[in-house]
Formats: sequence, C-alpha cells, structure tokens
Amino acid sequence: MSAPALPRPTGRAMGPARPRVDPRLAAWLATLIALMAAGGGAWLYQQWNGLRVTNMRNTFMWGNYILFFMFFVGLSAGGLIVASSGRLFGATRFKPIVRVAVLEATVAITLAGTFIVPDLGRPERLLHIFLFANLTSPMVWDVTIVLLYLGLSATYVWLYTRADLAGRGSPLALGTGTSERALRRDDRLKGALAWVALPAAILLHSITAWIFGLQIGRTFWYTAVMAPMFIASALVSGLALVILLALAVRWAGRLRFDDGLVPYLGGLLAVFIASEAFLLFAELLTAAYPGAPAEGQAVTRLLAGPYLVPFLGETAFGLLLPFALLASARLRRYPAVVALAAGIAVVGIFVHRLNLLLNALSVPTIALPPGLSIGVGQAGSVGLPGAAFATSYWYLPSPVEWLVVGGVLALGAFLFTVAAWYLPLQEPDHH
Amino acid sequence: MADVSPVEALPPASRAYGELEPPTAAPRFGMAVDTERCLGCWTCAVICKSENDVPLGMWWNRVLTDGEALDTPRQAADGSLALSFVPLSCQHCDNAPCTKVCPVGATYHGEGGLVLMDQERCIGCRYCMIACPYGVRVFNWGRAERPAVGETGMVAARPVGTMEKCTMCLHRLHDAQVPSCVWSCPAGARIFGDLADPSSRVSTLVRERNGQRLLEERGTEPKVYYLEPRRRRSL
Repeated sequence: MSAPALPRPTGRAMGPARPRVDPRLAAWLATLIALMAAGGGAWLYQQWNGLRVTNMRNTFMWGNYILFFMFFVGLSAGGLIVASSGRLFGATRFKPIVRVAVLEATVAITLAGTFIVPDLGRPERLLHIFLFANLTSPMVWDVTIVLLYLGLSATYVWLYTRADLAGRGSPLALGTGTSERALRRDDRLKGALAWVALPAAILLHSITAWIFGLQIGRTFWYTAVMAPMFIASALVSGLALVILLALAVRWAGRLRFDDGLVPYLGGLLAVFIASEAFLLFAELLTAAYPGAPAEGQAVTRLLAGPYLVPFLGETAFGLLLPFALLASARLRRYPAVVALAAGIAVVGIFVHRLNLLLNALSVPTIALPPGLSIGVGQAGSVGLPGAAFATSYWYLPSPVEWLVVGGVLALGAFLFTVAAWYLPLQEPDHH
Repeated sequence: MADVSPVEALPPASRAYGELEPPTAAPRFGMAVDTERCLGCWTCAVICKSENDVPLGMWWNRVLTDGEALDTPRQAADGSLALSFVPLSCQHCDNAPCTKVCPVGATYHGEGGLVLMDQERCIGCRYCMIACPYGVRVFNWGRAERPAVGETGMVAARPVGTMEKCTMCLHRLHDAQVPSCVWSCPAGARIFGDLADPSSRVSTLVRERNGQRLLEERGTEPKVYYLEPRRRRSL
C-alpha cells in the first residue's frame, strides 16, 4: 500500500514574519534585554557576596530558584506530550499547535536548567556533576534527564520546522532539502521520536519529583504519590501554558487555527486539573487520617496553620476555579474563558509548588529550642539571645532573588519571541 | 586540611586527659551522650567553634533544650516541671541520607566511618542539608565573619559557597586525642570511642545504659547514642 502524499510546504508563512521589525516588538525585546541585564547583574552581585544576599538560610535552604526550577520542569511537559500523543495516540487535533508546543517545551526546559545555576554556591564547579557523578543522587539523574529532554525538544522543533526552513533557503535547515523523500524521512523520524519523547517526559517529571520524594528526612515529601502528582501538575501547567502561548501567537498573526480547537484543549485541561486534585486529596487524606504527629503536623499546618492562605490559593483558586470554568461545555466555547482558566491554572500550580517547599522546609525535623543556626552573623546584634537561631523561618525571596528570577524569565520570553518570530510555526494543512 | 594541631605542645597531663582509647584496626568512631550528666552549659558548642574556626552565625554543635524555650522547663499537665538537653551535632550515620544525595560525592564516608566533606569538590547545591533529618549541616552563605581578626581554629577555613559540618575533630583523632567537645565537657557527659570494639568504654555504656539514637525510625543508623537519665529529673 502506498503512503498518502504528504503535504508539501507551501509559500505561506515561510518567510520571516515581517520585512521590518515592528516598533512594538522592538520595545518588547528591549524591555526583555534590560531585564536580562538586571538579572545578570544581580547574579554577579550574588556571586561576589555569596548566597547571603538571598533570604535563604540554614533554616530554609532551598528557595525561589528551586521553586522556579520545579515549576519550569513542569511547564515543559506541555510540548512533548502534545507532540508525542498526537503521534502515538492519533490525537490529530493537536496538529496546528504542535510547533508552538515543542518550542514551548524547549524554552521551558532551558529555563529550568538555567535556574539551577544561581542556586549553586559554587557554579564554576558545575562540571563536577559530570566529572564526579554520584549515581545514587537523584540530582545526577535529574541533570541527565533535563539535558536529554532539552535535546529531544530541540530536535523536535528542528524536525517540524526544517522543511519550511529549507524551503525558504535558511541555513538552519542544515543543508536538508524539501524533496518528497526528505519529507517522508521526517515523518518517520517524528514517529520514532514520539516513542522516546513520551517516556522521557514521564521520567523527567518523576525524577524531578524523586529529588524531593525520596527524602526520608522530610516526611511531607516522603510519599509515593509525589511522582504521579508531579506528572499531573506538569500536565496541568504545561498544557495551560501551551494554550496561552498558542492564543498569543495567533493574536500576533504568526499562526492560524480555528476556534474549535480551543474548547477541545480546555476540556483536556479540565481532566488534567481533576487528576491533580484527586492525587492531592488522596495524599492529604492518607497523611491526615491516622493523626500521627510527623505527617499530621505538616497537614495541620496546611489546613489550620499559617499555610492556610497559600493552600486555599492552590486548591480553591488554582484547581477548583479553573476546573469550574472549563468543565462547562458552554463556557469553554469562548477562547477568553479558556485563556483565563489556563492562566489561573498556571498560577495555581506555581502556588502548589510553593506550598511543597514552604511546608516541608520551614520547620526543622528536630524543632527543639533554640533551633537551627541561621548561618550568617547578625551584624550589630552579636550576643543578643536567639538572634542566630530559629525553630521556624518564614521565607520570602530577597530583591536579588527576584531580579535573578526576572532575568531568567526575560531570557525565556526573549528566546520564545525571537523563535516564534523567525521560525515557521504553521503546520501545513492536510488536503 | 592543614595538620596544625598543637597537641604535641600540651603538658603531659592535659595530653593524657584527652587521650583516645586505642581503636581497633578498622574503627567505627562513635559517641555516647549521657543526658543524665548534661547540664546544658554549651561548653561543647563553643569550644567546637574555636577548635574548628566556625564563623559567626554557624554552629556545628548545638545544645537543644527539651523544654518550652532555651531556658524554660517543660510543664506537664500535673504542674510538674522537667528540663533536659539534647546536644546535637552530626550523627555520622552509617546509612547517611546526605552522602547518598550528594551529586558529586563531596560528602562521603571517610576514615573511621565518619561522614566528611571535600570542600574543594562541593558545588554548594545544599541537597545534603535537605536530606539530613538532624539539621546539623551548615552552609557558607557569605564570606566568613569572625569575632576576631584572622583565623582562629586548628583546621583550615572553608571557602564561601560550600557546606561544612562536624568532623569529630578528625585532626585531633590523628593525634590520638578525643574531639574537643568530649574533653571539654565539664560534666563528662560525652564519651567517644570505637564502636567496633565491644569492650570500648563507649560500646559498654551504649550496651549497659540502653543507648538510644535520634529519629531511629528513619533508619539512618547514627553513630551517636543518647544515654537516658536513670533517675527522675523533674520538680
């Protein structure tokens, strides 16, 4: 049986978006460059003074950087799941947004990796992870899978855009052509890649979860549901961001797809949100039911203590509200409603990750007075009782931490904007 | 670390006082803390800072109060008061969560089964701090701050951006001397020795006084044992 003729790249949407850079785009890029410069400066300042310019201390040793690392690992889920499930499960409706999705995955995983660097006390020794890799460390597993995932996503982006790039004579096509044979080979490669990409995506989120979930020292994290929950929350935030970016790119005139796709994606997002909520509920019930002190305390802190507000932010605002918006077939017909729900879901998953850190780290396992030593001398207050120790610590990121995070976020926005402006994002239509 | 221990210069009586019980060929160094004797004076914590040149704001060794505050006893429902102390430093776990998670093997089981740090290899990711259930690792968040000018300890200072922790005064063990927290305890509440030798003083005490380990249920197999008080200590 002969294969059906594949669509040839057409002349549409093949050249660079606009002959000249439009002033709004230029202003946007200039803002991003300024933010990146500020972030880079803040990071150099941090390098010069040490991590004491952050608000992390011995009492709260992982903060904003790790939070954003987890968050962006999750965000990177969208792309490869959209791309590979289209192939593996015949979900052809994803097709128009597949290039945006794989581009989103590539940028998100790049940012996730970047967020590790400012968290390190000695970033110049980063290569030690490869030179002296300790194979029992989940961090080594994670660095490996992040790099693999980055390679896969970037390959996907190239494979999907290569023929159109070749069509317009771009050097990024790396000398490949647009012959029927080349297109068939691309198609085979996309199929093969899907078989690797889906397991890699599952592994990426599981291993990131295991960085936390395998730690017997942190009872709040030490649960087998951690990996499934990371996959669920990655699906929620990843798909939500793909929806938002696809709508943004369509608004910018770089992509066409009809409105029928939006309710489909919204419905899928509702299913993902429901699975995340289910796993969260199962975990909390299991932890709270015996009333045992170790797990029980962490749950009590969520339900009755100082963490109630962020916890409600995660559940009521982050899960229930977008679910309610998306579960209604009538409401999800409107792209604006789906976009709103997706935006809320992304923020909700961020708060979910924040709660994971706050609740696990802010109280030490052995919380007897005077507690842990903070880790820095208290200038001007040496000798004051209690100044150097704490049994609990309410962490809020310092301005330096926000500037660095802002810089990395700007890098992501910059990469995505430039790529979305330059790369052909329109998948050729089937006839 | 530079071997600058001035043990050789000590008067013979002082040297004899801090002398290490001769260990076996393959020692497992450990400690017993007699909570019946501990009076919560923090001498061990302070001498640790000067012995190891631990900068301001960082403590390898602390004395926690099992009470309502640092200096406040716990009051039971019947109105009786109880006060006891938990001197806490690295437990030198046999099944240490910190060595397992270190991505670069910068924290490892070294001589005598001690959990040690390679300051030149550490990348400063603080994963070991996350993993440690005892909260005894401290990070160099900034350049070291010292109350006096210059370095004061018997070991080399640690670089910014790396983790540091109790070494059981390995530099003193090399001179056949017990760790500084042990000899300095005015109540003689710390007993150091070789757990691999069943007849050592530490092994005997752990056996006879039913030594307990902190967070035993986590399976970390610490080498620090706490000896319970034999008499009632409440008012």
